[in-house]
Amino acid sequence: MTDGEEKDGTASYLRLNKKCMWSMYLGYAITYAVLLVGFILLMSLFGESLGDARSMVQLIGLAFLVIVLAYMLAAPPVFYSRYRYKITEDRVDVRSGILFLKHVMVPIERIHQVEVSRGPIDNMLGLGHVNVTTAGGIATVSYLEIAEAEKMAERLNRLIGTMLRDREST
Amino acid sequence: MTGEPLRCHPTIIVEDTLHIIVVMALFLFIFGRLDMSLVAALGVGALALTLLFSYRRWKRTLIRFSEKEVVIERDTLFKFKKVLPYSKIAAVNISQGLLNRIFGTSKLMININSGHNAILPEASLTFKRELAERLRGEMSRHLYDQSLPAEEEMRSIVSFSTKDVVVHSLFSVPTSQTLLGGVFLANSIVEMYNSVTTEMGAGGTALPSLFMFFLIQMVPSITQLFRYYNFKVHRQGEFIHLQHGLIRTYKTSFRISKINAVRVKSTLASRLLHRSCIEAEVVGIASGDSEGSSRPVICLLKDDETIKKVLGELVPEFVYERTPGKQPVGAWSVLRIRTLIASVLLVMAMAYPSAVLFRENASQEGLLNLAAYLLPLLTALAILAAVYAARVSYRVREIDLGEELFTFVNGILDRETVVMSYDKVQMVRVTKGPIARRFGVSRGTVHLLSSTGSKSISSGLFSEEQLDRIGDTVMERMASGKYDHRLNGI
Repeated sequence: MTDGEEKDGTASYLRLNKKCMWSMYLGYAITYAVLLVGFILLMSLFGESLGDARSMVQLIGLAFLVIVLAYMLAAPPVFYSRYRYKITEDRVDVRSGILFLKHVMVPIERIHQVEVSRGPIDNMLGLGHVNVTTAGGIATVSYLEIAEAEKMAERLNRLIGTMLRDREST
Repeated sequence: MTGEPLRCHPTIIVEDTLHIIVVMALFLFIFGRLDMSLVAALGVGALALTLLFSYRRWKRTLIRFSEKEVVIERDTLFKFKKVLPYSKIAAVNISQGLLNRIFGTSKLMININSGHNAILPEASLTFKRELAERLRGEMSRHLYDQSLPAEEEMRSIVSFSTKDVVVHSLFSVPTSQTLLGGVFLANSIVEMYNSVTTEMGAGGTALPSLFMFFLIQMVPSITQLFRYYNFKVHRQGEFIHLQHGLIRTYKTSFRISKINAVRVKSTLASRLLHRSCIEAEVVGIASGDSEGSSRPVICLLKDDETIKKVLGELVPEFVYERTPGKQPVGAWSVLRIRTLIASVLLVMAMAYPSAVLFRENASQEGLLNLAAYLLPLLTALAILAAVYAARVSYRVREIDLGEELFTFVNGILDRETVVMSYDKVQMVRVTKGPIARRFGVSRGTVHLLSSTGSKSISSGLFSEEQLDRIGDTVMERMASGKYDHRLNGI
């Protein structure tokens, strides 16, 4: 654990694998490529019809693309350094965020469904997400190594099963 | 409850077929220029097919009410079997629409404890009125271990006069909606005035504006008037019974323990009349009509004294001695900075269009000259509104963390006091943005199961420690045994 973890009282939390940054970078690269192509297409198809405002629109568009690029480059390391999670006997606890820091707490008692999901980029990097569904919404523990994700899902299912069996016996 | 297979009332075939007639009418309206004989042939064909399809579906759908469950089985091309165990059913309600009244039938609506399908009932079955009432009564004995109150026993905790219903219908519409409706109404009046006083004509915008006003302001009011006419609310033991409706009538019952939160709401207009209403977040009151269960009202707009009395008698489980906490000074700094940023962005966005409009209209004379200053004026008004909203938001928002219950007070124009039970919390999220972090405040969001599925209720800006206490109390109650899963599990 790093010093930072102890200072903010997150010593018992776990951190993600650094591969999560690569998954984010690849996802962002695809999104950025789509944005760039969309912008180029828009300007070449409708640029003429903008008349005098063309240079202004172009400038705003480029500024937007530069800001998005800066965010996409800076976000993954920040996300990685801030992401913490822990699963205890009674709760799922996740601290995350890039600009907005979030602390999500889900009592195990409330969990209805546990699901491991993987996209094509996650598959490539051997990562997965554990989605925890309650009656009030879904919480996700993101970018876990697939073995860790499967282990976590199994543990959560076991905890829920034990809780239900205890109830039935009482 | 003999388990004998039953069929829905055959008039359901007519109800189903009516939908296709509406679609056909729309089709005729859009493609009116087509060859009428072709359209008529297509229409008759579609109608015959729908009738046949509906008849077959009715004939092959059987419902069994046994001692433990309701089983709905359909043996058509798309076969299905739905088993609804009584242990999973949240409520059994009755609704009677216009067609039901004509045919002497009622809709028996079965709602289950599910966040996924909360807006629509899990099953909606049409029976002869007496049969529907009898089945509901018998199911209630299984679900609630008690009979439903007879019509004459249904004495409302408070009497709601027709005037109360009218006041509720007119003044419970959200203020933002009323303001938007007002803008359209004002525009239509100005346009109509212009058409009368000048020879320019109304410019064709008076009628659309009037239509928009009707759609935004009047339709919700009229819908509510019809829905809540003859409103009665009654508490019997652990159950709340609601009865209301003018054309479509509703009879709804639910267990107190199924209420996840109680909300006292007031719009700007209703506050001027010193009135507020009570809503409950409860699964099991979905009716499947256009309004669904989006407004789980348990008390119409009434004066503050009556609201206090109703809360004490109807839902005392959600009443406690409150010691509300105001937002810290840091919250005011965050709100001020946010308003400043929003204002600067707005000014930047409006600068260019304002300059263009000024260039075009500055040389005009008379009223047209005013157009040159219109955008800067609107921008200044928007900034003033944002400053006012920030001020009110800081003044109004409160938090109160009790032992069993906690409360969020929110709202700028429309206010709400939401009382929630720790034992009903599904998930807690505490968020702090870059500005809020600097001033040591966060926003808490509590996720609950609600009448429309899942629902999140957010707090104002408070210290992270204070908001984290919500989640900690939820866990402490579970660990200490204060939490009873039989009452609070879903």
